[in-house]
Amino acid sequence: MFRKHQQAKTPPPPASRRADPDVLISQGGEVRALLERGSTKSAVELAKQIHKRCGTPASEALVVEAYGARIRSLLEHSLTAEAKALLELVRERYSSARQSLAGIDIVVSSCEGSLDDLVRPLNDPALSKERRITIESAIKRRVTDISALAQCAALPADHPLRVGARALGEALVSVTSGPVTDGALLLPQISHRGPLAPWKQLVRAIAHFYRHEDVACERCLQCIEPDSVSARLVPAMRAMLVQRLDDGSLQGASIALVLQVGGNMEALRRALESLDAAFATKAQSKIIAAIQPAISACRIARPELVERLRQHVSIRAVKLNLPVKRVQAALGGPSIKDAYFWRLYARGIETSSEPLAPIACSLWEEFRRHAVAEGWFREEGLEAATLYLHMAELLQEIPREELHGAQRNFMESFPGYSFYYEDQPPAIRRVASKHTTSDFYYLFPDQLFARACALDPHREAFERWLDWARQESDGKAAERVAESWHRALPHDCRPLLYLMESAEKRGALNKATGFLEQAEKLDALNPEVRRAALRLLVAQAIRHLQQHKTHLAEQELAALEALPQALEADRPAFLAALRWTCSVIRGDTESASGHFTQVSRVLGGPAAAILTCGSVAEACGLKRDNFDLHLPRGVSHVDQADTLAAAVGRACALGDDMDVVFSIPTDWEGALLKELAHQPSRLEARQLRALGEAALRRDRRELAYAASAAGLVKGGDSEARFLLLRAQALPEWEFERRAACIAAAAELGRRRRDMTLVGEAVELKRGGSRRRMDFLDWLATADEDAFSMSTEQVSRVLKREKQSSRFPAYKPPPFRGPFAFDEHVFFNDEEAEEANDKATFEDIARLLLDRAEAAAKRKRRQKGRCQIPEQGDLF
Amino acid sequence: MSRHRQGIIGAHEDPREILGVATNAGDEEIRAAYLRKVKENPPDRSAAAFERIRDAYEILRDPRRRALTMLLSADPEAPLVSLLPAQVSERRFTGPGPWLAVLKEK
Repeated sequence: MFRKHQQAKTPPPPASRRADPDVLISQGGEVRALLERGSTKSAVELAKQIHKRCGTPASEALVVEAYGARIRSLLEHSLTAEAKALLELVRERYSSARQSLAGIDIVVSSCEGSLDDLVRPLNDPALSKERRITIESAIKRRVTDISALAQCAALPADHPLRVGARALGEALVSVTSGPVTDGALLLPQISHRGPLAPWKQLVRAIAHFYRHEDVACERCLQCIEPDSVSARLVPAMRAMLVQRLDDGSLQGASIALVLQVGGNMEALRRALESLDAAFATKAQSKIIAAIQPAISACRIARPELVERLRQHVSIRAVKLNLPVKRVQAALGGPSIKDAYFWRLYARGIETSSEPLAPIACSLWEEFRRHAVAEGWFREEGLEAATLYLHMAELLQEIPREELHGAQRNFMESFPGYSFYYEDQPPAIRRVASKHTTSDFYYLFPDQLFARACALDPHREAFERWLDWARQESDGKAAERVAESWHRALPHDCRPLLYLMESAEKRGALNKATGFLEQAEKLDALNPEVRRAALRLLVAQAIRHLQQHKTHLAEQELAALEALPQALEADRPAFLAALRWTCSVIRGDTESASGHFTQVSRVLGGPAAAILTCGSVAEACGLKRDNFDLHLPRGVSHVDQADTLAAAVGRACALGDDMDVVFSIPTDWEGALLKELAHQPSRLEARQLRALGEAALRRDRRELAYAASAAGLVKGGDSEARFLLLRAQALPEWEFERRAACIAAAAELGRRRRDMTLVGEAVELKRGGSRRRMDFLDWLATADEDAFSMSTEQVSRVLKREKQSSRFPAYKPPPFRGPFAFDEHVFFNDEEAEEANDKATFEDIARLLLDRAEAAAKRKRRQKGRCQIPEQGDLF
Repeated sequence: MSRHRQGIIGAHEDPREILGVATNAGDEEIRAAYLRKVKENPPDRSAAAFERIRDAYEILRDPRRRALTMLLSADPEAPLVSLLPAQVSERRFTGPGPWLAVLKEK
């Protein structure tokens, strides 16, 4: 077959055996046609036959030409020795070859690696143009080591080739090692027509490539001559530009380059996607099968990521309860239990659908110790403080009543994490061995806050600690926190204000005054201090009025009137109401009438004055029968039927401002509802809110609902606030609407950076940490994900609530299944309602199933709070 | 900050990795890394990369925010693909060696 093939390739014998010059010319054309096709061997054979028959100088020239092409072909196939031997042979046999094959001699020299021999003739000033071109062409096509050319001893140091090669070598190092400036790419030493011009284009192409300037890169690649050395990089660079390696055109070094520069990302990406997909199925066999290929691909493309990948896979496997040994085998060993692992594990627990705060805190403690050992941060550093605060925050998610039980159960059953360290390197085990499992400080928010504030005393940390301590039944805990705060940050007046308030509440007015004076010394212009001064004087005046010590109250009222802040906004009306109360206690009807008139004048009408004076009198301990007589007769809300809501709203806002609870008379409610329904825009948002909150305090949900409806109609920045009011005003059986309103309010608050509102929303959703969560609260908090809303969801809730201006009137009857339940279960199913409250069998079955699942989930939550993962689950 | 901005940092991304600083890097080191990265990725040349770098620096310049981000940047539920560098067409500087190896390959 080989012979047959050879025969097929052998050129046909010459058509004529005569030495006819014409025939020679025509057959010479055949030889050149063969050369053009690259069939150099056949061309040589044909030329030899022609020369054998003709034996003329022309036929010899034809043979030498064919041999020249054959030698070049051998050189291109790196058969340098064969090319050199053939060259010698041709030179010996044909005298004309010595002259015509001089250029090939240079090429053979360059291929043999003798760069000096190649370039040395360039020193000759008499070098012919043809020979120079041949040498330069050889440099272009053969020289791969630019640094060798830069150091070539055969040329003087200042020879343009050496200078240019040196500049190119430095530029190549620069562009492949980091970003470069445009100036570095100018390379004025390199001529556009010189032998190093392709190198210049290559350097520029690489620079553009790293800058992600792909068009410019491609333009440079197109300028590289195809037969130059630089062109060898063009396929690899084009592969990197299109990020494809799978067409099979690249060879070893090119593939290695593509992998090193871009990484074999595609293969790794596919392997990781497969593993992600396998995890999504939760099928053990699929996951185990996908782990090993992913690790292998990562080891090839991104060896530095292998350990990270193993740690992530380990954590995912833990969560799916996969068998340890099989996963470890697929991973090629256990993952390293360093700080990164523990952080990942802790995050995995705290972001799970059933967060287990004590376990998460214990994992964070493991992280903390490893992070300190690994130098992530110092043990006494700010990062440690931030971690303590974060752990305290996790524990705050547990209702207080359950926290003590969770702490106790955890301490009794926690076996430590020694199992994790069995296969670990000594450096990791050393960190573990220093640990004692008896220190459970991380289960106690108070200790965590104390540690955080000691390491990084700042206002926010103390505020969070104080908020926590204030919820303790013992007020002394909060006072201790405030004292710590004051010691750590003596220039902050907030702890002093808290201590003042605390002292005031327990009747230690002198002490409270002392704290206030300290705060005033620190920052008398601080609005909080100014407000506290006002509030303290008001509290003292009310206290003295409660004790009927009007002479002392008069002193405080005089002091109040001297305060500039007491004269702001509607506050003079409040002072006048206090004076009215003073007159009532004294029985001075005339004076009382005067003060009432003053209140009425400031607040714009008698209705607001009646509400204000009545509420202040009640705050001072007077019975309504005692002061009713001193209110003007014949004046009532009926006289101001069209502005009653405005008056009540204004008075309630004043009450909120002065920290005195104002109560709306019951018989005003009908008129208020009517006015809010028909003229909702007459009140300011602040007044509407105060009115709504005053209504809520007396559990007048319908009135609060009407205030929220009027507020929502106004729109603007207060929408979030009125959504929260709406949530509180809704009847209990509207728990889904309530949850949606809270979530929407929180989302709007977050976007407007109103963290007070967000905090209130969170607290409302939790049902308040001071009381035990009931069934409705549980329903509202069961799905934590629902607390986050998209813009569209918020818009939908807002639209629905704005349209729902009427208080929900329907209250479905409680349903009782055939089994006894602790809680009442309410329908919120429109179809069921339409069916005249008759639940179908399917409804009941579905409800029972839901209830069973809910109970099981709650049981798991309870159980989870006092349990830790089984050792068999651990990696 | 716009969610749809091209260069935004993902929740599970560590801004330290974006700036290329160690976990225990201090203020000076972070600032130096930021300036270096901005120089490498000026906004007129690579707007998306620049924004990512700026966002990362904004997070890291506040020590408390930096610390909290360090704690919360780990996301065990994130797709494993996210372990790969966020920039799709990452081009690593390798030095001249691998490039010259292609030229010398016979």
